[in-house]
Amino acid sequence: MRNRASNTLSKGKIRQSWSKYNLYNMQRFRSPPTTNRTFFQQKWSAKAASRAYHGEQVREGQWKRMFNHRIRSVIPMNASDLAADDGSLVSSGRGSGLDKGGKPAYQTRPIPYTHMTFAPLERRLDVAIFRALFASSARQARQFVIHGAVTVNGQKMKHPSYLLNPGDLFQVEPDRVLYATGHTKTPFERRMGRVGRRQAKAERLAEAQRAEGGAPEVEAESKETAKEDTKETEKEETEETEKEDIKETLQALLARAKAVMSAGKETLAPQRKQELRGFQKAVRRVLSRSESSTVLADGLEAQFSELTLLLKAKRAEKKPEKKDVKPRPEDAFATDKGDAELASAKKDTEATASDKLSEAFAQATLGNDVDASELTDEEFETLRRALTQMRDNPLDNSKTYSTPLAATPIHVCLCLHPTLPRGQPEHLCSRVPAPPRGPPRFRRGADSLRRVHCHSGLWLVPEETVVEDAIGLSFSV
Amino acid sequence: MPPRIQSRTVSNTLLPYLTATSSSSSSLSSLPSLSSTSSQCISRQFSATAAPRGQTKLRRQMFEWLDGEGAVFKHHLPGQTNYVTSLKQRGNEGSENPRPFPNNQSFFSEPILSEELRNEVYNRVVEQKKSARVVSVELGIDMQRIAAVVRLVELEKRQRAQGKPLALPYARAVHEMVPITPLAEKGERQQYHEPINDLPAHPLTGSQIFYPVPESRSFNRVEAGRVFSGAPALEQSEAAEISHPSDLAEKIMEDPNSIGWVGKGANARQILQPADVRIPHPHMVAQERDRLANPNEWRAVADLQSKRLKRQDAIEKERRERIQARREKKLTVVSPEDSRFDYRIKDTIYTTETTGTDGRSSKATGRRYGVPHRDRARGEVKIPTRVEA
Repeated sequence: MRNRASNTLSKGKIRQSWSKYNLYNMQRFRSPPTTNRTFFQQKWSAKAASRAYHGEQVREGQWKRMFNHRIRSVIPMNASDLAADDGSLVSSGRGSGLDKGGKPAYQTRPIPYTHMTFAPLERRLDVAIFRALFASSARQARQFVIHGAVTVNGQKMKHPSYLLNPGDLFQVEPDRVLYATGHTKTPFERRMGRVGRRQAKAERLAEAQRAEGGAPEVEAESKETAKEDTKETEKEETEETEKEDIKETLQALLARAKAVMSAGKETLAPQRKQELRGFQKAVRRVLSRSESSTVLADGLEAQFSELTLLLKAKRAEKKPEKKDVKPRPEDAFATDKGDAELASAKKDTEATASDKLSEAFAQATLGNDVDASELTDEEFETLRRALTQMRDNPLDNSKTYSTPLAATPIHVCLCLHPTLPRGQPEHLCSRVPAPPRGPPRFRRGADSLRRVHCHSGLWLVPEETVVEDAIGLSFSV
Repeated sequence: MPPRIQSRTVSNTLLPYLTATSSSSSSLSSLPSLSSTSSQCISRQFSATAAPRGQTKLRRQMFEWLDGEGAVFKHHLPGQTNYVTSLKQRGNEGSENPRPFPNNQSFFSEPILSEELRNEVYNRVVEQKKSARVVSVELGIDMQRIAAVVRLVELEKRQRAQGKPLALPYARAVHEMVPITPLAEKGERQQYHEPINDLPAHPLTGSQIFYPVPESRSFNRVEAGRVFSGAPALEQSEAAEISHPSDLAEKIMEDPNSIGWVGKGANARQILQPADVRIPHPHMVAQERDRLANPNEWRAVADLQSKRLKRQDAIEKERRERIQARREKKLTVVSPEDSRFDYRIKDTIYTTETTGTDGRSSKATGRRYGVPHRDRARGEVKIPTRVEA
């Protein structure tokens, strides 16, 4: 029967997933009780709990075959310790170092190397994709692989159980990753997407008609005029949609600013709050004006680069005068009755400042020359940030996820980087003459987990969401 | 499968028809199941307690938690982790380490390289032409990671040039969610990203060995390695030559064949070397020793170190070239003009090493000639084990 693993509440299992059910299950999970239970029962529940997280998508037979008795590991060494002692200090006395006042000479900390039991599973392609934060669950990662959205070393790989080798480089289609990490679309966005698709289709048809109609000139002029009419209307339509797009973006920006404000009432610094408020005002103003004026929407990219150049130039010119306009953070707290005057004065400055900001923002969205000399440092920064975000994170209803992209908040709690248990550095010979004491302590990180660990540096590469495996790139030591 | 209970609204609208058909005619084929559902619906309608409307107790509890205690997870401060453990830690201890799993005390989420640090790595390796080893020590990043970062930044540049779409908002979101190692400001000391001198635990060291040594005798890492690999103890004169195990590192770097062997035939293996030799940066131990020997002459120590690194780089480069030349000498590449393929032709060497004692080793040339490979058989799973880059 098909494995219907999901985040159920009744069983309360933890899975490799970013869902809120999983978060809830994780925080209420307790280790299964051991009293009054047979050893078999204890083992059963322990396995059930760990199996649900580690390779739940793997068949039992496959799962059993993956493990190895020998857990591979590394020990972090300290060069100065190695230089200070050639090992004879550790093996002195009765074989475990001379003790210092009853305490052992070398403190050791137990290292949980049993974590590395599941290391072979981490070599699997689907698990690696989940670990690299490219999918919201291991199941989804598996789907991405099966649907052909994943390449290994540039070749399409359709097997989720492919075991990654050292030096392999896997890529997931960026759209899939954004779909996995982003919000789902609202009904409105879905509708806009449909409208866009319909328009694109109509355009394509018109294009095809035009291509066909070019050859036979037998058709009457009436048709041509009709065609031109349609063309014009199309043009208008596209312009309108572009306008709408810009508007949408602005609205989205505004909404986001609002969300940040409402979310972080306690956590935000007053200065940041002010900044955001100014930004909101600016956007609102542009929105209201865009209805009357014609918004030029061509080449957001070109606009942006031009703008940044301009801003840079303006900024270089105008540095010394800025200080006096800058609203001080203390002003935000000036609400006492005695400070009424101060508050009103502050209001004035704020109003003028945000006026300028909004003006600049309007100019920027219109693609005009921006007069940034009037702006304060913060406003300048706000403007720059807003524009950057608008450029990098545009509104595009043709995508399968909600745009502009915003990561789901629940994800933050479940995004993590697999680590390696670390221990105190130990010297190789310290255990030779000594009698055995406790479990082996040398163990740390197995190779495959280490591989995941190596990825962590790599998903910094933002585009094409590439993850690199660094293990096998050889360096002769 | 038992008949599904229909939802209340639907059953209510259907009710008059169902009862009518069941009472009037019993010849309808779909009758039994329909009548059974309807009867269930009827019985439930007479129940005194209201049926739960889509919300079980567990579900209600979950949403209560999400709206109450768990509401803190709906928003987070950019640049900070927001793990479940923060609920319990709040107040009593300010644990620095980000622990995502409440039940796992020893699992931490590790930092990733910041954008600036990543670019700095690329800059130092590619533009300033520093060796990966040097950059690794400077920035505290593993050598293998450095190689990977360089490879990826290059890929990124290529994709930028090709105008492929970038997932910038995604990258920004990820950088906000997980811990990050920032690039140090000018004049500040760079925070180490990870330990760079990791010693792989050798399987031989897993065994517990009782090896009696007189207390008067010093017993160091070199000798321990020999004990682990079952090699006889060093001659006194040989042992006297080695003042510190890190002396061996230099020797082995110059001549890798100076490592001795134990065992015979298939069981032959190299003698386990001390940690000073097996770590990725043996030169760091040598530098520390220089420092201990000349505590106040940091300039002289630095000079010595740079000389040592240069020498090491030269030796490594020479070795790489030698190996490459040897490989090329053995291999003839024929690439016909009208062909899509290159042919790599190697001479077959028919010795016991290459074909095994019986001439049928799995690596031998021409083994099982004419017999199809195992993975061509029916029912074999053909998941690739490697993908050529």
